[in-house]
Amino acid sequence: MSLTERWLSGKRVALFLLLMPLLLYLFFLILLPHLEILNISLRERVSYGVYEFSLGNYQAFFTEPLYWRTFLRTAVMSVLTTAITLVVAFPIAWYIAKVAQGKSRSVLFLACLIPFWVSELVRTYGWMILLRETGVISSLLQTLGLVDGPVEMLYNDVTVMVGLVYTSMLFMVVPLVSTLDGLDDSLVEAAYDLGGNGWHALKEVVIPYAMPGIVSGCIVVFMLTLGNYLTPTLLGGKDSLWFTEQIFTQFITRFNWEQGSAFGILLLVLSSLMVWLGLKLSRQSFTEAMGR
Amino acid sequence: MTSAIDLSCLSLHKSFRDFQAVQNVSFEIPRGSFFSILGPSGCGKTTLLRMLAGFLEPSSGEMKIKGRSMLGIPPNKRPVNMVFQHLALFPMMSVAENIAYGLKRRREKPDFIKRKVEDALERVGLPGIGDRDVSQLSGGQKQRIAIARCLVLEPDVLLLDEPLGALDLKLREHMKVELKKLQQAFGTTFIYITHDQSEAMVMSDQVAVMNKGRFEQVGSPQELYYHPKTPFVAGFVGENNRFSGKVSNVSVHIVQVKTDCGQTLYAQQREEQPLAEGMDVELFVRPEMIHLSRERVFADENDMTGRVENVLFDGGNSRLLVRVDGTGSEIQVVHPQTSEFTNIHAGDQLHLSWKAEQSHVFASNRKEATV
Amino acid sequence: MKITKVIATAAVCSGVAFSASAQAQELRLLTWGGYAPQPVIDLFEKETGIKVKVTLSNNEDMISKLRATRGAGFDLAQPSQDRVASAQQEFRIYKPVDMSKIDKSLYIQSMLKSTQDSTSVNGKTFGVPHVWGTSGLIVNTASGKSAYSFADLCSEDYKGKVSYRLKRPTLIAFAFDMGEDPFAAYDDPVKYEKILSKVEDRLVSCKGNVKAYWSGGDALINLLRSGEVTLAMGWDAGGWKLNKENKDINYVAPQSGALGWVDTFVLPAKGKNDEAAYQWINFVNRPEIAALITSSAGQFTASAGAAAFVEEGLSNSYKASFDQAALDNIKWYPPVPAGLETLEGKVLDRIKAAQ
Repeated sequence: MSLTERWLSGKRVALFLLLMPLLLYLFFLILLPHLEILNISLRERVSYGVYEFSLGNYQAFFTEPLYWRTFLRTAVMSVLTTAITLVVAFPIAWYIAKVAQGKSRSVLFLACLIPFWVSELVRTYGWMILLRETGVISSLLQTLGLVDGPVEMLYNDVTVMVGLVYTSMLFMVVPLVSTLDGLDDSLVEAAYDLGGNGWHALKEVVIPYAMPGIVSGCIVVFMLTLGNYLTPTLLGGKDSLWFTEQIFTQFITRFNWEQGSAFGILLLVLSSLMVWLGLKLSRQSFTEAMGR
Repeated sequence: MTSAIDLSCLSLHKSFRDFQAVQNVSFEIPRGSFFSILGPSGCGKTTLLRMLAGFLEPSSGEMKIKGRSMLGIPPNKRPVNMVFQHLALFPMMSVAENIAYGLKRRREKPDFIKRKVEDALERVGLPGIGDRDVSQLSGGQKQRIAIARCLVLEPDVLLLDEPLGALDLKLREHMKVELKKLQQAFGTTFIYITHDQSEAMVMSDQVAVMNKGRFEQVGSPQELYYHPKTPFVAGFVGENNRFSGKVSNVSVHIVQVKTDCGQTLYAQQREEQPLAEGMDVELFVRPEMIHLSRERVFADENDMTGRVENVLFDGGNSRLLVRVDGTGSEIQVVHPQTSEFTNIHAGDQLHLSWKAEQSHVFASNRKEATV
Repeated sequence: MKITKVIATAAVCSGVAFSASAQAQELRLLTWGGYAPQPVIDLFEKETGIKVKVTLSNNEDMISKLRATRGAGFDLAQPSQDRVASAQQEFRIYKPVDMSKIDKSLYIQSMLKSTQDSTSVNGKTFGVPHVWGTSGLIVNTASGKSAYSFADLCSEDYKGKVSYRLKRPTLIAFAFDMGEDPFAAYDDPVKYEKILSKVEDRLVSCKGNVKAYWSGGDALINLLRSGEVTLAMGWDAGGWKLNKENKDINYVAPQSGALGWVDTFVLPAKGKNDEAAYQWINFVNRPEIAALITSSAGQFTASAGAAAFVEEGLSNSYKASFDQAALDNIKWYPPVPAGLETLEGKVLDRIKAAQ
């Protein structure tokens, strides 16, 4: 072994050691639990403490309309939330990246961040205090004489959506700001100069340029929304029906770990599939979107 | 036909709060000419260009293209296109899509667009690269695509915002020639802004020298070079040795100047603003106008001996730094690479001389900073 | 000089080790809110030197936690009696109780006996009773109505003002109200399923009545206190707590009978400090200690002599809720056979999903 070779292999060992924590983390905390969950999902309880291999838990998802409808509903609402978040976040991100200067820029960024200084639970309860029948907004409307009786603004899909968009905002704004930051203003000016109007500049220059940011923001928001538990459950009330709630129920209140695991795996597979589909449709590559 | 005016501006002003970026600028550009605006950074040339493009509205003044006022007309409606400093080629589009962008905005038919794009690529000397990504192009190719993208729209005026700034020296030299050829081939009026006097001189029919928001002088490169009208132009266009001093004597055509270092120099009297005895003046003489000799020849008004302090070798641009005997002033002189002078070394004795009309003298405005 | 230094270090080390072993005298208790109030913990520590570390939980969570660790992490837990035997059979997360270490004389004998019976697996006892209570209706009596039934939860009179948990007690309550005996059908899955489907239809048809399904006692109390809900199925303790603040609100035993439950003490399979656990069990059953727990949790305990020590307000609320007939009518939960909960789960899912 020559000296350089030895040095190189030494370097490789060092690299390996540096990566070790990450690898261990990935293996023990991500891969292993998933394998165990996959294993659990593929068995069926026969009697006390006796289990055997079965696909029944997966079959249950597809044969019981309740389950796949819940999933479908969750997915549709998540897509909708993602779209609304994008529409709301884009002008904000544009303002932060392109219009705001110096201090106001950091203040705006901070304003997006502040809701995340309290836990999601507290945030959601905050919404509940505002929106409940005896809550702040209802009382305010009554005091102003705009309504006759108390108004219940909780426990419906619109409220759930508002809560989800609110929760997702930051995760859309950050990647958008970082891509838009890199957009040379003269590209937009060039689009104007060559005869385009605002809409053309947006459609043909700004959005294609921001696409990687849009895609990575959408993936993050979609996954977070799909996997959210507290917001839809608390704000949705009796009709909330969120797929993660099903998983939680199976695991915690039904002791049906087998069914819960199957749902977990299905959520993972189906949501990955949807993200893949989204990437295909927007002609983006995952590595490019996430590399931003 | 050459006298037709493509662009005319009349006392244009632009101010940002208290800051006067552009003041009282008026000029006319004949059709098909290459017009440069030359000035140091911060002189207001970019503001002027952006007003022409429509990204800024002038605070006051008039601006007409082919006789039509451009005030209040947005950039996408003006018969003007711009080549941006960093070119601003759309990175998410192919070369052909970039060139086709403006035509699509005009809702031209696809086959017409295709033909135009191919034609444009042909004319800028890059046929067949329409399918490439912008990122695959070299610096010079990008330049040409950026220009093609504008010229395909057949604008009345093409604005160029220091597009050569980002290129390396060799390529820049090459592109200067290239740009000039393109302009002649297309016959479009070019307005080119730059801080590089060499770019302006090589390419332009007319150059406007801009300083602190005003035009100091507009003229052909030769006029600017040989007959600068202000000390700023004299200092900014080409290289110059500068002397400060006082007028010590005035004859009909000749002004005698006593410099602060004690030299006596001669220059031609200015016709438009004659100088009088006792005035503070600045006198300029270009390094390339000074005659060098080993032996003294009494031929020119200005005549002195000195010792070579330094040889600044730069091939054809080589200079000598000569310390003039008895005054301590230092003069830069072109070092001709002829057999007579190739063996000059530091410490050699030389005679310098030039005619009075080869130096320019201006009443000094001592506060004025010159380059 | 060097030697003394080494000795000094050794002494410090052994000091540390000693204090560590003293701290090992710890009881890790997995229980419900209010069952281990701080005064009781302080008294216990003063008497025995054992520190009590409390983790608050509920039935499902307790079983899930113990199941995940196969019975480790806690020395004593308090699931309801109907959840002991089946969980033990299924997951083997408990160890048998050594009855010789329990001071039986402190108990209401009938309750001790019935809990022993219902928590036995293969002839071994796994639980002893601690706190008991009932599920019934919490009502705002301002309406002047005198008798209540679970059916009122579906009554037009309370449209949009009703709350209950979407859990098995609600299914059982409606089954009784509809004249069925679900407990008797526990061992007959076919019959039980029939009963469940009747209940499902009923709950789906009157889902519009529901303001919100509550999931925690505090959430329910908030709903009732604010007046957003005027009729709810809930625990007696919650009703009595509200009764203290507002005389109009109280807990009532419905006509079909309140549902009675007993929370037990069980020993997790991998508990490390059984001795401390037994000490705690005997300690909290002393009448004066039991009374402290009653006033903290608002629920009564299986301790025989405690009634004499309970504060007057609570015992008055209690008397207003239960006359002798209502007490006799309490339906005590028998142990749940495994598998029933899967059936119930699907029913509950469908009710939740119904629009």
